Formats: sequence, C-alpha cells, structure tokens
Amino acid sequence: MPDLPDPDQLPFREYFEALPCYLTVQDRELRVIHANRRFIADFGEHRGRHCYQLYKGRSEPCEVCPAMLSFREERRHSSEEHVRTLDGRDISVIVYTTPIRDESGEITSVLELSADITPIKMLQDRLRESRERYRTLFNSVPCYISIQDSDLRITEANRQFKETFGAELGSRCYKVYKHRDEQCIPCSVQQTFEDGEVHHSEEVVTGCNGENINTLVYSAPIRDAAGKIKRVMEMSADITPIRELQSQLESIGLLISSVSHGVKGLLNGLDGGMYLLKTGVAKENKARQEQGLEMVERNVDRIRSMVLNILYYAKERTPNLEPVECLPLAEEVVAIQRSRAEEMNVAVETDFEPESGEFDADRLAVRSLLINLLENSLDACRVDDKKSEHKVVFRCQGRSDSVVFELIDNGIGMDRETREKAFSLFFTSKGVKGTGLGLFIANKITTAHGGKLELESELGLGTRIAVHLPRKPTVVETEASEEPLAVEDFEE
Amino acid sequence: MTDKKTVLVVDDEPDTVAFLTTLLEDNGFATVAAGDGAQARAILEDLRPDLISLDITMPEKSGVRFYREVRDHEDLKAIPIIIVTGISSEFEQFISSRKQVPPPDGYVPKPIDKERFIQLATELTS
Repeated sequence: MPDLPDPDQLPFREYFEALPCYLTVQDRELRVIHANRRFIADFGEHRGRHCYQLYKGRSEPCEVCPAMLSFREERRHSSEEHVRTLDGRDISVIVYTTPIRDESGEITSVLELSADITPIKMLQDRLRESRERYRTLFNSVPCYISIQDSDLRITEANRQFKETFGAELGSRCYKVYKHRDEQCIPCSVQQTFEDGEVHHSEEVVTGCNGENINTLVYSAPIRDAAGKIKRVMEMSADITPIRELQSQLESIGLLISSVSHGVKGLLNGLDGGMYLLKTGVAKENKARQEQGLEMVERNVDRIRSMVLNILYYAKERTPNLEPVECLPLAEEVVAIQRSRAEEMNVAVETDFEPESGEFDADRLAVRSLLINLLENSLDACRVDDKKSEHKVVFRCQGRSDSVVFELIDNGIGMDRETREKAFSLFFTSKGVKGTGLGLFIANKITTAHGGKLELESELGLGTRIAVHLPRKPTVVETEASEEPLAVEDFEE
Repeated sequence: MTDKKTVLVVDDEPDTVAFLTTLLEDNGFATVAAGDGAQARAILEDLRPDLISLDITMPEKSGVRFYREVRDHEDLKAIPIIIVTGISSEFEQFISSRKQVPPPDGYVPKPIDKERFIQLATELTS
C-alpha cells in the first residue's frame, strides 16, 4: 500500500467535505482509502472495503469501472451508475474519476466524485414518458395533424396524415391537401398566424389515392416561451361519412320530390287516357278508344319503369337472371314507344340482327333500361327545333360473348357538361320534366349485369348510346343483395 | 262553327295535348295545339285564340318566357291564359307575385281536374 497522506491533514479537506457529492479516494485494488462525510453517512465505514462493495454490495469489481480505467489509461473518466445507500435508497449518480500522482508523477490513487442526479433522472424519465405519450397521441388520434411554419410548410405531421396524404415534410400545406399551386383563400392557418386565435373551416381535400375527403379543420397557435407564435397546428377531422349521410338524406328528399312530381305527370296521362277511353266508348268512337287505351298503357308502363327505377335506386340489387331473347325484347320496347314516337313525329328505324340470340338478364330491369333510353332519344328529338326531320335508330347485335343495344338519334345532343354529368343522380337536362333518375339507374342496371354504357354526343348533332351486356354475367353478390329484385311484383 | 271559342293548348307532353284538346272539343271549344313556346308564338302570328292553356315547364322556349312575351305584346296581352303545370302550388304564388307580369287568369295543377278546367275555360271565354 502506497504511502498516503492523512486525510485530516489534507490542505483541501474543508472543500472535500463541503462539496455536495460523494467523494472517495481509491487505490489500485479499488479500496476506498479516503471518503467524505456525506459518503460515510450514506454508504458506511469505508476503511478496508472496496468501492464496489460499498456502492453496490458486489463481491467483484463492476464490468466497466471508471476508476480502473483512470488507473490504466492515466486520464479522467466518467460514467452513470445506479448505487444503493445503506438505508436502501436507489440513487443515480454521475461519476467522475481523476488520477492522483505522487511527486515522481506516478499514479498512486484515483479521486472519484459521484454526484446524485436522481431528481434529474426522474425529470428526464418523466419528460421521456410525456414525450412518448404526446407522440402516441399525435399519431393515434383519429384526425390529420400537421404543424406548419409561417410559409405554410409542413414541419411535422402525424401518422394518419402521412398515410393519407403521403406528404414529405417541408411541402406546402395547400400542395399536399389540395394539389394547388397557390395558398387557399381564406386560410385558417394564416389567420391563426395573424391573430393568434383558433380558426376553423370546412374543406374538401384530396388524398394521395385521389379520393375526396370532407374535413373539418381547426388551426391553433403554438407559442414559444416568450409568447410569440412559432408554428400553427392544424387538425383536420374526416367528416366524409357525415357528409355522405347528409347527401343521402338530401337524395331521399330529392327522390321524393322528383318522384311525386313525375307521378303527377303520369297521373295526368292516365286521366287523359281514361277520359278518351270512356268518351270513346260513349260516343262509339273506335279511334278515340284506341288512342285512350294506348295512353293508359303507355303511362302504366312508365309508372312500372319508375317504380323499378326507385327500387334500383333504393337498394343495391342482384339482378334476377333468366335467359332473355334479344329480338322479342327489343321489339317489345319499340312497340311500347311507337305511338309516342309517331305523336312526336320522330321516325324509329330498327336494325335488329336476326341472329342476336339470347343472354342472361333481369328481363324487366333491362326492358325498363331500354324503354328509358329510347324515351330519352325521343325526348332529345322532340326538343330539337333545328332539324326538320328526326329519327332514332335502334340496333341490336349479338357478339360472341355479349349483346349490344344501340340507340342513335339526331336530336338536340349534349354539351360537355351534360355528357359528363349524364349518369349522375338527379342530373337532368329536361328541366322539371325529368327526374334525374333515368340514366343513373340505366347505368346501375348495366353495371349490375356486368355490362357497360357507352355515350357519345355532340350538341346540335345528336347522341349515340350503347348498352353492352355480357351473355353470361358474373353477378357479384353485394352485402345488401340478399333480397333479389322482386320482379313478380311488376308482372301484369 | 263560328261561335265556337278557340283555345290554344301549349304543352310538350303529347298525352296532355291529346287529353286537353279532346276535353275542350267535347265541351264545345275549337282547339289548336303547340308542342312548345316557339310553335305557339308562330301560331299567334295568324290566329287570335280566345284562350291559351299553357304548360309552364316546357323545355326550349319555356312557358314562362312565352307567358311574358304574350303579356308584353300589345295585341296579345288581352288573351286570357290558364297555366297548367305539374310543379308545386308554390309556383302559383310565385308567378302571381311577379311585378313584371300580371298574374295568370287561371291556374290548374296537374293532374288536371276536368270540371275545374272546363269551368275556368268557359268563364274566361264568355
């Protein structure tokens, strides 16, 4: 054992005791040869005992020992350790070790200083936990959150935001949300930067898959310690399902008003037909009787088709498939509309391929679809006053695995907007005369049969619409389709 | 023949035209029909009917526009007009409250009440 100075005689003994930490001096065997009173109070009498025994109750040195490293490498070391006091308190310490040399420069001992950092550690742990909690909340909250700087650049975004919008940090908000090149007006984030208040708005944004999302947007300021607004947090809740529900409710309202309006017209037609029929019988006027009967038949047919339309609208339905012969079906459709066409002075030319064959379909649905399309073609001719003669060509062709019904008219035609919206629900170009259901349902019936509708139209020139239906449709069972279309309800 | 009152029936729905013209003729009126406002306007170049039955909701030259034209025309504005339409009864209030045009002489909603229609037509042409 080297010749060590008596600690009580050390010139710096006073400082040694006054420092707010544990101080020891250890020899090469890690025996504690000096210790301050604070150490002795918490870890007991040190004489003849090793550091690792006193601090940790171990029988061997620790795997990584800063004192040993200071002996070996002849320089200062530090580490963080957990130690246990005599009364059983676990405390965290930060340890600094410094070699002590004799007059010849040889290292005789190491001074070890251990500062209690338990409160700091606890704060650090709490901070970490709280950050973790914040991060979890940030990521798992069911809305899109982004944090933006005053240039509206996204500096941080939560998981849902990243997944839905695929945004790169640093991109501008309006670019990510709306694929715009310019800032939106008004911009709630901008408003928050200006007045420090919470702002909200409702926006339609576009996800990276191209889907439109209705959002309710809140923007709130994030301030620094001095109260200056550094960033703005934007939270957007997806309210698409609510808006969809709302639009369905509106649709139902529209449906009811459009249907009741349509029914008035049909009732009028029926009234007229019945009047002609009745007075025709009374006057023994055969021509009038026939005219009346035709009117009644036509309007009954229109009511049937309207009811079928409503049913198709009301529920996703699986077509009730049966083998259907193309020709008789096409002929029946023309027969129903023939007199109407004559009254409107529109020629109906038929071009039915004799070998069209048969296909599997919901006969009544397809019949209603074709009546609807033919009626549309006739209406398009009726409202056109630019041409002296009007005609509709009705074609039916059989292909190897599909059948095609085609209607070509030289009526008024459609402009781009009408063409693009033609299949939308409640869109009608017939003013209050149309329900806006016809082409929407036509498309629905066609799709339900695994087929497709083709539309070509030029304003002033006319329209060509073709229905392609597979001969053997593979009908996809939808959730709501357990109840097939109840065609028997419409059989005469 | 000459003492028959003439009614111009303007409606784009052939069934309604057939219904109204037959009904009127059965009740002693002479009728002329037009499928839209433009046709009706052309008829008025040569003919002065005693009454016009007008569907207000026709495409093309709409019924409303035709109505205003007739009402603004010095020689035609005296012809009584019955408006026949399927749109809601609120329309009656709407058209009757316009400042630019006087209200129609009669208003008949669809489905048409035959008796009321004939009664109105008789009153307005007598």
